[in-house]
Amino acid sequence: MQLVLSWPIRLFVVGVLVFSLFVDGAGYVYRIANHYPLTGNVAGLPPNFGGWQLYFHRGLDLAGGTHIDYQLTNFPAGQNRADVQQRTIAVINKRVNSLGVSEPEIRGAGSSNDRITVDLAGVNAAQAQKTIGAVSKLVYTKWVPDSKVTNGPEAGYKPALTGLTGDDISSATATIDSTGTSWVVNIQFTSAGATKFDNLTRENVNACPGDTTTSLTANCAQRHLAIWLDMTQADIDHWDDASYVAKVSSPYDAACLASQTPDKVCGKLLTDPITREEIAGGQAQISGSFTQQSANDLATGINSGSLPVDLVALDVTQVSATLGAESVKLSLAAGLLGLAIVVLFMIIYYRVPGLLASLALLFYAGAVLAVFKVLPVTLTLAGITGFILSVGMAVDANVLIFERFKEEVRAGRTITAAVDAAVRRAWPAIRDSNTSTFITCVILGFIGPSAVKGFAITLGIGVAASLISSIIVTHNLLAIVLTAGGFRRPALLGVDRVRSV
Amino acid sequence: MSDVRAEEQGADIAPDGGAAAQPDAGAAAQPVPEPRVRRLNIIGRRNLFFALSLIIIIPGIVSMATRHFALGIDFAGGTEITASFASHPSLAEVQRAVDAENLNGTVIETSGGSYIVRYPPLNAAQVTGVQNDLQSRLGSTNVQQILVVGATIAGETILLSLLAVVAAAVAILALLAWRFHNVPGGWRAGFQFGGSALLALLHDVFILTGVFSILGKVFDLRIGEIDAFFVTAVLTVVGFSVHDTIVVFDRIRENLRVSQRLSFEQIVNLSIMQTAARSIITSFTVVLVLAAIFISGGETLRGLSLALLIGIISGTYSSIFNAAPLLVVWRRLQPLR
Repeated sequence: MQLVLSWPIRLFVVGVLVFSLFVDGAGYVYRIANHYPLTGNVAGLPPNFGGWQLYFHRGLDLAGGTHIDYQLTNFPAGQNRADVQQRTIAVINKRVNSLGVSEPEIRGAGSSNDRITVDLAGVNAAQAQKTIGAVSKLVYTKWVPDSKVTNGPEAGYKPALTGLTGDDISSATATIDSTGTSWVVNIQFTSAGATKFDNLTRENVNACPGDTTTSLTANCAQRHLAIWLDMTQADIDHWDDASYVAKVSSPYDAACLASQTPDKVCGKLLTDPITREEIAGGQAQISGSFTQQSANDLATGINSGSLPVDLVALDVTQVSATLGAESVKLSLAAGLLGLAIVVLFMIIYYRVPGLLASLALLFYAGAVLAVFKVLPVTLTLAGITGFILSVGMAVDANVLIFERFKEEVRAGRTITAAVDAAVRRAWPAIRDSNTSTFITCVILGFIGPSAVKGFAITLGIGVAASLISSIIVTHNLLAIVLTAGGFRRPALLGVDRVRSV
Repeated sequence: MSDVRAEEQGADIAPDGGAAAQPDAGAAAQPVPEPRVRRLNIIGRRNLFFALSLIIIIPGIVSMATRHFALGIDFAGGTEITASFASHPSLAEVQRAVDAENLNGTVIETSGGSYIVRYPPLNAAQVTGVQNDLQSRLGSTNVQQILVVGATIAGETILLSLLAVVAAAVAILALLAWRFHNVPGGWRAGFQFGGSALLALLHDVFILTGVFSILGKVFDLRIGEIDAFFVTAVLTVVGFSVHDTIVVFDRIRENLRVSQRLSFEQIVNLSIMQTAARSIITSFTVVLVLAAIFISGGETLRGLSLALLIGIISGTYSSIFNAAPLLVVWRRLQPLR
């Protein structure tokens, strides 16, 4: 145990302290530099700065928002479930973006890739479910002449459903074309879709033949195929109403569609490209003046029309922001009160060693909170409880050492020898008991229900840190302080009498 | 016969062989101060302490077997809406409004002045409908929390919770058996230590679950409902209880090495006395922290902190009065060698 007192260990402790100060400090430096208030939520604060987290990740029970677990059903046959899950997540992401949620969390879950977990801060459950669960149906339309139509993508023509829908598309992806200069969207049809698409493009080309890039007559309305989301026959029946057409032909608006009422008209058009030639084989490419963003948007739009699975909500949790803020306040108060009680008790009961242990406790709390920020650990109510409890465990190791220290002093050892003997003899009990708690935490972290996982993670981190704090920090502080003779008075050490050396 | 005499102890907890090399080895020459350890004969009165535990455990088991538990929403499934109303209606008024919906809703009043309304699982449209309905009947409504738990998730939560408790218990038994197989007697003794700790742990789990079954079903208190937080509490108690037990057992292991002259009973009793102060002090600090959470921590954490309070007090009791005495009983029934 002589190693405990060596300089490398002390340097390590100082290193951890500097590290935690830096993690906590980075946030304040950033706030000061940008003239933000030092505490509280600041809109526009980035989640991290130079790789350092600026604030704690709060779980939804503290931040307020909606959590939903979805079960994916009706998987398309013959497709990789993990891929389907990823595609579904991409679609949900796209839909959620229209709500303007900051840091939405959408994760795959389930042992057979059949679950998706959605965490949305600041959104109520009804809104979230409407947006995510909205069943968008992608349809292809061709254009048929109608003299009453005066506006829209093709004046003088109205759309007609073709029977080609999102079900016929297996995927759409945004890529850079073969020339390497411009963004395009590639569409891959299913085999049934490929046949339908081949027939439609042949009709297109036959309607006004020629090379679309050179011949003016080749560029007729009937050579276009429009892609819409949620376009219905009812919409088409309204095509002689110019204001209706103007609205419905505007770009696809997910947020509007999510809150759709019978008398509200939302934009449903994805794109209306011209067909250059008949396309057989089921692979089409949409080109145009795309940016990376717009190409991605279109690809996701097409994919979201072909949402590959059905979503069933398994559980929904909605917590209001005020309740979350209330919980933060209460748990902070409980934590600080608890800490104060423990510190007070330790100092009164153990005197100088108690004071040193309290310093070690502050070191411990700082280091653990820094770890929470860096990883980052999402703090929930249960998680904070785990952290508060780990403070109790951190104290326990000190109590073991101090009780042993008193015993060793009573048995007639000098103070320096008693400190070393106390740490050495208390160590097996501290090691074994913390190992057992740590194992419990690991088990809970892996197989516990989700509400329990946050608790297990913070308690586990806390237990690991408390080992370092109690054995290394307390021991070193004791050794350093006790080399100064002034502290070797029985009254200060909480023991009856001390043998003089 | 199991009485421990003071003179023997004083001599035997003096520095061990390794310490002789240290400069203070001369301590042995001086009169060794009498250890200030009060001697209670815990091992001799073990049946009294076992009986005391059974007085709480047996009604708990009876209640669990006949009345089961009051299940919180994450175990039972269903819909729960927590709301407060600007018009501050009475419980009866809220219940009337909920009855009028014909959705089998029940209302509970919380200490914070808001109401919890419970329904069977509702779909998204129904949840919106219920909120609008309450708003139209009771006026301005502030919805604080909505929970909808389907049967699938509820079943999984129960299964995972049970699995976690069993896995933790097995892991702890294995850890203790391994840690203590180096005491005289080898693995057999190791399993006696591990098994006794496990029994003490089960004692705490049964006290905690039994008390909650009684609170929830016999007294119909909402705080007695068990949910995922309760499972968290049970597992924490498991951790703490084993914590305390290990400290006692570790001392037994150490004393077995240094003192050859005492009987096993005497060593166990001595070890309990030497560690009791630490166990009580640690639990006392944790109990203080928990009491702080219980009083100021708000509705959500109240059940959790109560469960932890009961469990940790039980855990401290069992580590002092049950775990080590059980080890003595076990050693008598299955002597080593």
